[in-house]
Amino acid sequence: MSFKKYWILSAVALLSLAGTANAEPYLAAQMGLKCASCHVNPTGGGMRTVFGNTFAQTTLAAKRLGDDSDLWTGQLSKFFAVGGNLRADYNWEDVPHQATTNDFDVEEARAYLDFSVIPNRLSVYIDQRFAPGTATNMEANVRYWFKENTYYVKAGRMYLPFGYRFEDDNAFVRQLSGINMQAPDEGVEVGLELGSWTAQFAVSNGAGGGNEVDQGKQYVTRAEFVQSKWRVGASALYNDTDAGGRTGVGGFGAYDIGPVTLIGEIDYIDDDTINNGTKLLASLAEADWKIKQGHNLKLTYEWYDPDDDVDENEQTRMSLLYEWTPIQFMQVRAGVRFYDGIPQNDNQNRTQAFLQLHGFF
Amino acid sequence: MPGDSTNFLAAKGFLLAPLLVTLVACTAGNGEGLDANGQPIPITPPTSSQFQEIQDTVFTPICTQCHIGANAPHGLRLDAANSYALLVNVASDEVPTLKRVNPGNPDQSYIVQKIQGNAAVGGRMPLGQAQLPQDRIDLIRSWIAGGALPASVAPNNLTVASVIPAAGKLTVIFQGDVDASLAASGTFELVDGFDRPVLLAQVQVPAGRPNVVELTPVRGLSPGSYQLRVRGQGPVALADTAGHVLDGDADGAAGGDFLTSFDVSAGASR
Repeated sequence: MSFKKYWILSAVALLSLAGTANAEPYLAAQMGLKCASCHVNPTGGGMRTVFGNTFAQTTLAAKRLGDDSDLWTGQLSKFFAVGGNLRADYNWEDVPHQATTNDFDVEEARAYLDFSVIPNRLSVYIDQRFAPGTATNMEANVRYWFKENTYYVKAGRMYLPFGYRFEDDNAFVRQLSGINMQAPDEGVEVGLELGSWTAQFAVSNGAGGGNEVDQGKQYVTRAEFVQSKWRVGASALYNDTDAGGRTGVGGFGAYDIGPVTLIGEIDYIDDDTINNGTKLLASLAEADWKIKQGHNLKLTYEWYDPDDDVDENEQTRMSLLYEWTPIQFMQVRAGVRFYDGIPQNDNQNRTQAFLQLHGFF
Repeated sequence: MPGDSTNFLAAKGFLLAPLLVTLVACTAGNGEGLDANGQPIPITPPTSSQFQEIQDTVFTPICTQCHIGANAPHGLRLDAANSYALLVNVASDEVPTLKRVNPGNPDQSYIVQKIQGNAAVGGRMPLGQAQLPQDRIDLIRSWIAGGALPASVAPNNLTVASVIPAAGKLTVIFQGDVDASLAASGTFELVDGFDRPVLLAQVQVPAGRPNVVELTPVRGLSPGSYQLRVRGQGPVALADTAGHVLDGDADGAAGGDFLTSFDVSAGASR
């Protein structure tokens, strides 16, 4: 299949969608697309759309195996689509004053089901994690699109919209907000996909994915203005709990300068439940260098202040990752992460390295 | 589809570049004047209980990276102010049939399963990091096996930490080592929901667990409601090995009976 045909196929796939991946914001920034272009979930992550799957075969991978008839779209029928992710890791970690550890690990295995009972209108979506541990539901929601896929309402268990949905749940900005791919919550979300704008507002239990224990709810909103070469957005949250309130704001953006894509996010949280009121800050700066098709070098620098009222307690984390996608739906990731914190805390000064085989569809 | 924005590229680049430079200019703190948890060194020395050690070496420095604040995963906040209350005798969210910490029973405590990596749901904790050092896991197991006592123990007072009906017997865990010679049926009175005495076949301090008294009813514990009284006054008052009488009413002073009610379900009555 020629590149021209790939692009035609991609364009057809894109046009067949009126605005509906996995969480790698740099890909969206490189392509000048919204999260909803590649993911069924308008805020990104989870099952890929027809376009997302086509992109994975024609643009993301260095080489595509098979012929035209082998093109996987995830759509088993007009009404039913499937997807999945599996990440198998080899991890190495060195914590000062402790023995070095290393292990093989299944970081996660997930399956996605999307029942489009009324195509382009009404869908029932399920994200089930099968490993580690026994099967656990991560997302289960019903989504209804109004008026040419301009806006939607979603209800059930879902990942909430705040900042960029990075694949790395241990990124400081994702730990700070408490909103990541490990912590779904039950609630309702409304969203807007209009022109260059993508925006969401959600109300949820605010119990960190656990059982609701009080009357208060969490309110989260996110808005982003997306252009072909740059994008900028903001997030806010308020969680009203019996133990106290938690207020957060954040800003994020990306800029594509050719082979390199820059991404930044900074978040601020004021949480009444920590030591009767603690202000926390975290930031992330990322550069992704697309060396050539199928090869990406990622450098991130993160900073975290766990208590703004205490001096000299800040932490940083620097990561260098190489992502190689030799063929469609298979990615090899290798990386090293350097933590730097106060010298009294060994855990804040650890070094990690990993090699990951990521299969997805 | 996003539109073209060529006219804004240069301007946005100038805006974003300083922002990114600012983000990467932030460095780690040097830790001056702080303890290992990044907090100012306290004027008064910390207590030295097992739980305090777990808090200081595991929960605060490692777990609170995520388990803190109003958005803590599963509502489990592991900062010093909240960890004990949200762990001990609290049902797990992921496996509600298990308590996060089941005093006296580390293998049936969900936190142990999570840090050992054999929990039924989800990944091993701490997530995305190497397993806790074995001595830290052993410390947590030991703390739970010893009754999962809180950090602060009032000096010179013997108090009841928890009462656990299980496997046909009743386990009473104390803050302090019990004088085994005083552990007798007159000191421990058990009645059922109809106020009828429950005869005890055995009242003993098990070997190696001096802060625990096990009560074994003659006919086990059938499903129903019960009330336990531990004497902290009178001629059969319980005391610790140093002679300090039980502070049963938890008023901070020695003396007073300890009184508690509990239910035994069908599953726990074997």
